[in-house]
Parts: sequence; structure tokens; C-alpha cells
Amino acid sequence: MDNQAKSIVADPDKLKPRRTLGFTSQFQLIAIVALLFLFITIIAAIGSGSVDLSFQQVLDALFGCSSESSRCSVNPISEQIIWEIRLPRILMAMITGAGLSVTGAILQSVTRNPLADPYLFGISSGSALGAVVVMSSLTSAILTVTAGALIGGAFSVILMLTLAGRAAVQVEKLLLSGVAVSFMLSAFTSLILYNSGPEMASTLLFWMMGSFSNSQWSELWLPSSTLLVGVSLFFVYRRWLVVVQAGDESAITLGIPVNQLRLFMLIVCSTITAVLVAHVGGIGFVGLMIPHICRFMVGAQIHRILIMSLLVGGSFMVWVDVVARSLFDTQVLPIGIVTSALGSFFFFAILKRRSEQTS
Amino acid sequence: MTDSILLQAKELCWQVKDKVILDNMSFRVTAGEFVGVIGPNGSGKSSLLRCIYGKNKISSGQLELFSKPISQYDRRGLAQKVAVVLQEPPTRFELSVIDVIRMGLTPNKPLLSFDTPQDEQKIKVAANQVDLVDKLEQSFNSLSGGEKQRAMIARAILQSPELLLMDEPTNHLDVKHQIEVLELAKSLGKTVLVSIHDLNLAAAYCDRLILLDEGKILAKGQVEEVLTQTTLQEVFKVAAVVDKHPFNQKLRITFDVKPPEENASNLDGTFEQVITESVNLGKTSNG
Repeated sequence: MDNQAKSIVADPDKLKPRRTLGFTSQFQLIAIVALLFLFITIIAAIGSGSVDLSFQQVLDALFGCSSESSRCSVNPISEQIIWEIRLPRILMAMITGAGLSVTGAILQSVTRNPLADPYLFGISSGSALGAVVVMSSLTSAILTVTAGALIGGAFSVILMLTLAGRAAVQVEKLLLSGVAVSFMLSAFTSLILYNSGPEMASTLLFWMMGSFSNSQWSELWLPSSTLLVGVSLFFVYRRWLVVVQAGDESAITLGIPVNQLRLFMLIVCSTITAVLVAHVGGIGFVGLMIPHICRFMVGAQIHRILIMSLLVGGSFMVWVDVVARSLFDTQVLPIGIVTSALGSFFFFAILKRRSEQTS
Repeated sequence: MTDSILLQAKELCWQVKDKVILDNMSFRVTAGEFVGVIGPNGSGKSSLLRCIYGKNKISSGQLELFSKPISQYDRRGLAQKVAVVLQEPPTRFELSVIDVIRMGLTPNKPLLSFDTPQDEQKIKVAANQVDLVDKLEQSFNSLSGGEKQRAMIARAILQSPELLLMDEPTNHLDVKHQIEVLELAKSLGKTVLVSIHDLNLAAAYCDRLILLDEGKILAKGQVEEVLTQTTLQEVFKVAAVVDKHPFNQKLRITFDVKPPEENASNLDGTFEQVITESVNLGKTSNG
């Protein structure tokens, strides 16, 4: 036993800083690369489309011409395309990608379920129902589709929490309640779709699969400010969020009010998701996929995953939009189709990696 | 003497609906003691620890830490005084060892604060104390059972608690790692309350023992007072012989595979003879 005791006696030589500094720098390096990539993504996305614009034209339009207007490489029409069509669309895509990724990361942490995503609680179904009700009824004179979807999303969260009742503090019961609400609201949506005309059904299906086509500057303030508030709250509670990942019991022993924290985070995540879905429709897989990639890149520290989810999620969605609008000359693909296709490949890749690890 | 009492329970009861899980428990733990809670499965060991770290709210009686009822501590205040080493913590995510140890800072750091270089140094000192400083960046899930327990002890060290609770810390560990973990806990110089299954380890490491059976305290006190043949046979329903280990003179408990009644009726003292012979053999080889 004396030998055992000796083996655990403090050794001052081991306390000298060695890899910790390198570890932090590695994260900072990855974050800087991701930030640069996001910037390049935005510039490239602005340039691509039915009217191709050069790198110089994009820079001139964004930051103003360096000399007199006669030497400016961008003409007023291109400038108008960039400022009024492409930039709001790209920013909306970036905010959506960042928002869905960051909420996915938080939900996976607080539910300790790697398959949790922003649509887990029927928000998508609620928003779709809200949008369908507005489109197919006289309420369209009073409410916009966005407002209808927002009300529908909020309704689904309230319904889920009400149905779960006191059991809402237990992750499994909350998830079950969310799934039940999702199916319930989808049934209503399907019923309305079944009874509506083909034109209405087509419009609605396109909306449900997600699109940035109608993005305008005036619509950006609500998603961006909601995301800003949400991410600030996530950063405030980051210390607690990382502890919850190791289990409820463990978190309780460290003085964390686990149930209250989880409920609060679910409400914040639901609000962000409902606002995003109301503006761009249901876009799947992003909130599930990006946090996994980020966790793989930077480990399990919440503030690192949050920063990376914002940057990688933002870039990813902008590229998805570029693909969606440039894959076919004659039509713009719904975003949900592209993300679902990429998502399925992603899961096959994970499956293959896991199989290789276990064999 | 009274001022050194760290933890005191008076007629403590905890029940879930109508089912009484902990019944009329009274005991005290004084500062610096290493106290073991022993008893069969379902006797209430973990439930008792949960009452102390605030997970279970007691139904009646008193449970005081530094003469203040546990119920009057806020969560964070309690976590600053009591650290817990649970049985192997579930981690589905790939937390690194340093992530897990860093969690020990939580009760003593404001929510909005950032970790300072002093905090990083504290983490390293704690990791070094449990001999894990070379594995800080490894995945926690890649550690062996003994290393995981040591990481959890490092996390507890960072909490700088007055009382360390350990819930069956030697479960699933081989003999070497069982000794290593308890040796480490003992070397911290903290007041420790540990629930433990292995009675020989309990006898070797604990200053005092609390023996539970079906939610009640059946015996408490010095190791020799609690680990008697009569109490062990009554609680575990297995024939037991208690003697001194020939090598280190610590109390040694030997169980037979058959229930006590069968031994009494069929073997007619044979079991006792076998044990006596083995003790004599030990003495011979020792001497």
C-alpha cells in the first residue's frame, strides 16, 4: 500500500504548462480558419447566381469603389442585385444555419441525446400548421404567413409543455410529449392540405421544404436579434451546460438546478427555432449534423461548440443555398431537399466510421 | 467535542409516497473522520448519501451540516461544502479528462466568470494529486475504471469541500485499483463518508462504520463493534467469521456460501474448524 501511496504523490515537474497552451491555440486557429471561411463563403455566394459577378465587383459593391466612380467595376444594376436580393438572402441563410446549428448543439447537450435537433418538439409541425391555416383561410388578410408560422410554432411548444405537465422535468417524457405533439399537428396539416386545391398544396409544400427566396432586409431583424439574445444566454450558462453533459446526478452534486436549466434552455431553443422556421420554413438535418461535426473538431466544451456551430452552420447553409439556386438553370431547389440529401450521406459516414471503430 | 461535529442526523426519515426508505436514523460524523456506510443492496446507503448532497429532501427528523439544516443551504452553498464522487458517471459525449476535472470549479465560480491562469494551475495540481496530469487531454471514456474514479476525485478536490461523499467508489474495480482509490481518498485528509460493499476494505480503511439494513441503522461505531459475526449473519443472511488478518492484524471477514442455518445443522462446526485452520496456517507462514 505504501507503494500505491507513493505513486500518487504530487510531482512538481508535471505541473509546468505544456500542452494546455497548445490546445487553446489549436481551438483559436480552427475558429479563425472557420471565420475566414465564412467571410470567403459570403463573398463567393454574393458573386454566384444567374448574373455572375467577379470578386472585384462584389468587393466594390460591398465596401465602395476605391477611386472615382468611372473606374468602379460594378454597375448600378449589379449593385442593386447584390444589396437588395443577394445580401439579405445570404444573411438570412447564414442566420438560419447558425441558429439551427447552435440550438441543435444546446438541445443535444441538455437532453444528452446525440439525435436531438431543433425540430424535436414539434416546432416544425406547429409552424407548418400555422402557415397552412393562414394560407388556406381568410386570416391571410390579417396575418402574414410568417406571423401564422410563428404563432403555430409557439403553440406547439406550449402544447408540448402542457401535455408533459409535471413530467416536463424528465428528458424522456418531454421528448415523448414533443413527438406526440409533432404527429398531432402534422395530422391537422395533412388534413388541411388534403382538402385544399393543387396550387395551394404546391405553394405550401415548397414553403415547408424551406427557401430563402423571399428574404428581405426588413425580415432580418427578428431572426438576428432572437439569435443574438439566445446565443448570449447560452454563453452566460455555458459553465452549467457543459456539466449537464456528464449527467443530471453529477450536475446536482455541483449545485446546478438541472431541471430548471433544461426547461429554460428548451424554451430559448424553441423560440429561436420557431422564429427561424416562420421565416424560412422547415430545414432539416442542419441542427443535427453541424453540432456533431463541431464536437468532433473542438471537443465538448460548450463555448467552443457554440462558436464553431455559429461559424460552420452559417457557412454550410450559405453553400446549401448556392447549390439550391445553381444546380438547375430553370428552377431553385427547396433548401430542405439539399440538406436532407447531404444529411443522409453524413449519417452513412458516421455509421461507417463507427463500424470501423468497433470492428 | 460538539464543535467538531460536521454532520449530524437525528431521527432522519425519508419516504417516497408511503414507502419508508430511510427510517429513524441518528448518527454523527466528526471532522477528519473516515466513516463507512455498509449494508446489503437496497439497505439505503445511496439514498442516505443523496439526502446529504441534497438530491433527496428528508421527510422528517433533522440532518445538519455544521449545525445548519441541509435544507437551509442553497444548491451552490451545499456544493461548496460537500463534494460527491458518484459511481462511474455516464458520459455519452466525448468529454476530455480536463473537461471533467474542470467541472469541480463550478460551485466556487460565478456563472459569468472565465477561468483564470490560477484556475488552470489548480486543475493541474488536482490532476497531479491523482496522477492523471499526463492524461488531461485524453477522452474521459478512454480511461480505465480506476482512472475514472481518480478523475472524479480530482474534480472533488477542486471543489475544496469540507465533506467528501463517495458512493461505492470501488465497484467494478480490481483489487489494486480498489486499494488505490481508497488510499487516495484517505490521503486527502478530508472528512469522508463512503458507502462501500467490500467489508474487508471497509474494515481496513474506515475509522468508524454505520451498518444499514432495510433502511435502518443496525449498528454503528468502531469497526470491531460493528463487524461482529452476529450482526453480519443477521444482515447478510450468510455464515460469517470475523477474525484478525494474520498479515496486518486488520479485521478480516470470511463468508461461507451457505446460509448460517445450513452450516449450523449440517456441518456441525466444520466451517469454524476450516477457518481456524486457515488462521493458524496464516500465523505459521507469517511467523
